[in-house]
Amino acid sequence: MSDNIKSAKALTGATGFLGSHLMASLLSNGYSIVILGRSTKDERLHERIFRLLHWFGIESLVNQITCVEADLTKDNLGIEDEEYSRLCSIVDSVIHCASDTSFAESKREKVMAANIGGLKGILEFSKHANIDIFHYISTAYAAGTGETYCREVPSIAKTFTNVYEESKAGAEKIISLFCEKNSIKLSIIRPSIVYGDSRTGRSIKFNALYFPVHSMQSIKDIYLKDLNINGGKKASIHGIHIDKDGYLFLPLKIYLHGKGSINLIPVDYFVNAALKIIENCPKSGIFNLTTNSPTTFETLAEYNEQFMKVRGVVIGYGKPSDNTLRNPAEELFDRFIVPYRPYLADNRRFDRTNTDLATDNLNPPEFTYEIFKTCMEYAIGVNWGASIFTIK
Amino acid sequence: MNGILKTAKNCRHYAMCKIDFLGSGVCASGLEKHFVSYYPQGRMILYEALAENKIPVTEKCVEIADSCNLCGKCDYQCYFLNEMRPVTVMEALKKHVEDYIKNGGKIKIAKEDSLLTEIRNIVGFNWATNDEAITATYSHDLSAISNPKFPDYVVLPITKEEIASLVKLFNRNKIKYTIRGNGQNLLGFAINDGAIIDLNRMKTIEFDEKNWLVKVGPGITAFDLQKQAQKRGYRINAAEPAALLCANIMCSGIMSTFSTTYGINADNFINAEFVDNKGDLFNLNEVSSPNLFSYKNLQHKDSPGICVSADIRLHPVTDDECGILVPFETLDNALDFIKDCSVRHIGLALGVVGAEYISTFLSPTKKMASEIKSIFVEKLNIPWLVVFIGDKYAIRAINEMGFPYFDQNLFNSLYLGLPSLKSAQWLDLIKELSDDEPYSYLKLKSFQELLETALSPSPKLYSQEVDPALRPFFEKLFSRPEMTDLVWLNMYRIMSSRLGRKKPFLPSLIYLPIDKTLINEFSDKFRLIAEKYQIENDFGFITPIDSGKRCIFEYDFFYDYNDPDSIQRIRQVATEANMLIDDYSVKTGTVKGHPYVLYQGFCRKENLLYS
Repeated sequence: MSDNIKSAKALTGATGFLGSHLMASLLSNGYSIVILGRSTKDERLHERIFRLLHWFGIESLVNQITCVEADLTKDNLGIEDEEYSRLCSIVDSVIHCASDTSFAESKREKVMAANIGGLKGILEFSKHANIDIFHYISTAYAAGTGETYCREVPSIAKTFTNVYEESKAGAEKIISLFCEKNSIKLSIIRPSIVYGDSRTGRSIKFNALYFPVHSMQSIKDIYLKDLNINGGKKASIHGIHIDKDGYLFLPLKIYLHGKGSINLIPVDYFVNAALKIIENCPKSGIFNLTTNSPTTFETLAEYNEQFMKVRGVVIGYGKPSDNTLRNPAEELFDRFIVPYRPYLADNRRFDRTNTDLATDNLNPPEFTYEIFKTCMEYAIGVNWGASIFTIK
Repeated sequence: MNGILKTAKNCRHYAMCKIDFLGSGVCASGLEKHFVSYYPQGRMILYEALAENKIPVTEKCVEIADSCNLCGKCDYQCYFLNEMRPVTVMEALKKHVEDYIKNGGKIKIAKEDSLLTEIRNIVGFNWATNDEAITATYSHDLSAISNPKFPDYVVLPITKEEIASLVKLFNRNKIKYTIRGNGQNLLGFAINDGAIIDLNRMKTIEFDEKNWLVKVGPGITAFDLQKQAQKRGYRINAAEPAALLCANIMCSGIMSTFSTTYGINADNFINAEFVDNKGDLFNLNEVSSPNLFSYKNLQHKDSPGICVSADIRLHPVTDDECGILVPFETLDNALDFIKDCSVRHIGLALGVVGAEYISTFLSPTKKMASEIKSIFVEKLNIPWLVVFIGDKYAIRAINEMGFPYFDQNLFNSLYLGLPSLKSAQWLDLIKELSDDEPYSYLKLKSFQELLETALSPSPKLYSQEVDPALRPFFEKLFSRPEMTDLVWLNMYRIMSSRLGRKKPFLPSLIYLPIDKTLINEFSDKFRLIAEKYQIENDFGFITPIDSGKRCIFEYDFFYDYNDPDSIQRIRQVATEANMLIDDYSVKTGTVKGHPYVLYQGFCRKENLLYS
């Protein structure tokens, strides 16, 4: 990227799920990007980025990118003075996507360090670069658990489902204060649960929506192997068998805390909406990138039955009593979905006033079986991400 | 180099073919003749010597070749440990000798000199020789440091009086003599010119159950004694199964994962008898005897004599003992755990092992070990495991401490289901499932059933990984409960020789406090030394001793002893590793290196560790 382009956007988190898709979209729309990121033990930053460009099929846009090794927790992002000054002179806005998305309470310190501690460097950089606008990719769930209708306003929540939500809400506050103090415009983009591309199924991450399906597939594989190789010695104990139509009958009761739904948006919608906000944001604002038609878990279970050819899944509400016997498949599935359980039967609704205005009423598609199938076929095709960069 | 010679030259010289560790029997001619030459290990060396024209075909050579009946027992044993099939070498040896005779080759008869006559007068005609076929087989041991040396004579006495007479004879004639147990010395001290006194005929075992003792002759192996002790309901603290107990104590003292409870060095015996360097007998408990309980911080101290018997301590065994494996994400956490257990006296045997150790021990082949290692580290997120043996109260304590673990049943499923683990896609989820609490899946009530369902473990499945010709044997072998019993496996340590399967290894052993910083520093510096000389290396194990005040730390360096360049490099590594230990020893005052314990294995551990 040459120094005479005056409207470069600095992007963090470009190697992550949302950040990478955003990077690809920004590049395709002709923007120049300064990528602030880190190398890993095995791969340099520019190699990681090039691998992603290749995956998106946009290697030819590599010249629009400047990769800068940066440590968000350090002064001047750990960048040499001269290079730092140069970056300050070419960057006009920052898109802060970098985030630790772990839900685990045991990782609180790490999550807080990344999501709160990592703000200092990028905010200071924004001030030094005298940027016009700071875009923060947050989460719709920064609204906390106390709200049933989540407005596009600063979060005042005190309770959260997990440390990730808490850290994102905390970060929103810090960023807001900083931007206000330094007269930097701020857009807070709050997506709900993002899955792959609704048209192609392509994705580089397979958690959230994918995890229960992946879990179900694993359990199915375990018992199919038993049925096919060992004559179903273990499967028969729990009434697991293959029906005449080839479906696996797998008695599995899933307990949810109540009726509700899961708020899903595809990554292509996220990117298009975020790009519109980035391009059209006239003033500071908060934008919920959510759907007004969330999917019930019951619908997801139906999709799963049809797709996986697994029958026997029953949904229960409330908590099972202490003496409820859980078969091994149920116990494993219960354990697999622990982090995601609160999102599977959620009753929160999201205000989209700002979003509709900024995105010309761009809405996510309804989550149909066809989309589900497309996404899951892609996920299985790349072995739930294990062979993501070997199969294009 | 053809495949047969390659097999011969890759014999690890562990002497495991001299003990019946698989219950499949031992080479019959070895048991009868006692010279290592008549065991598969000896025949491997003999074939190498003949194939490379180092020795002529001799009278004993013909006898050794003839004595092999190609029963195939050595194939089972050697394949189990090293994935090698020595029967091809045995066949080649027999053919070599047969062809030589058929082609009119002259068989060399070793001439008896006057000294050999005198030696034979002491031990009997059959138990001393200077035949090159025999002496050649005593030219190697485990060591990477020393070059092979052919002795002039090999002698096999049967009593301490014979040993005393031999010492006097050799002293009179100014002949160097070297004591050999099973040739397991890591520093090359079991090979020499002059005479080799092989103690393998001295296999006496006398139990004194009233006093919790067993008196053993110097030819008794750890494996054989453990077996006898177990039959009577006891346990001994034993080192590698083929190591001879007296030699082991003599050299550096007995250590094992049970050393956590049973101790090291003088903790393991009550008394011992010696033939001193003049050929006189002395008894350790006599006031006038040399004080071998003391310790001097000297490298390569002189030998106090020849240990001709030792009264080994017997330990009680309860019927509720069992083994578990406690996984850890970091070495530091594993060290905290063993220290805590050791300080609180929880558990009988404790050891931290890395993924290299555990995957090598569990896997029947090199290829599988490499695959399993990456599964353990990358998918199961288990780079470290603590092997823990304890009774029901100890296990209850671990439960209360809240650590998830693989119990014996889970271990059985994991072990015999290893081949399925390679293709188990559900493992990808296990790591995420552990996100909040590492290894919490082990706490699922039905995890045992799920693991069994997912892996379909069985001796048959496990045996699919081995050479097809040996599968029926391995299937039968792994149907035996002890082969998957963590207590048995730790007592008999038959797996530890598998560590040399990929390549022979040279361990660095250190006694030091369970200090995380210190241990990590040693690990890092050992690795850097090894990398400097392009030597493969890995963490070995750590066992806490003396109520957690100290531990034994092994770090391993792998090399190829058929490659002179590799030998040169491993020697450099050994030198620098020892220098590193010396530096820390001076700097900390709490670190002791293994070379400083040589020939001081009889010392009190307190003198070794704290003086």
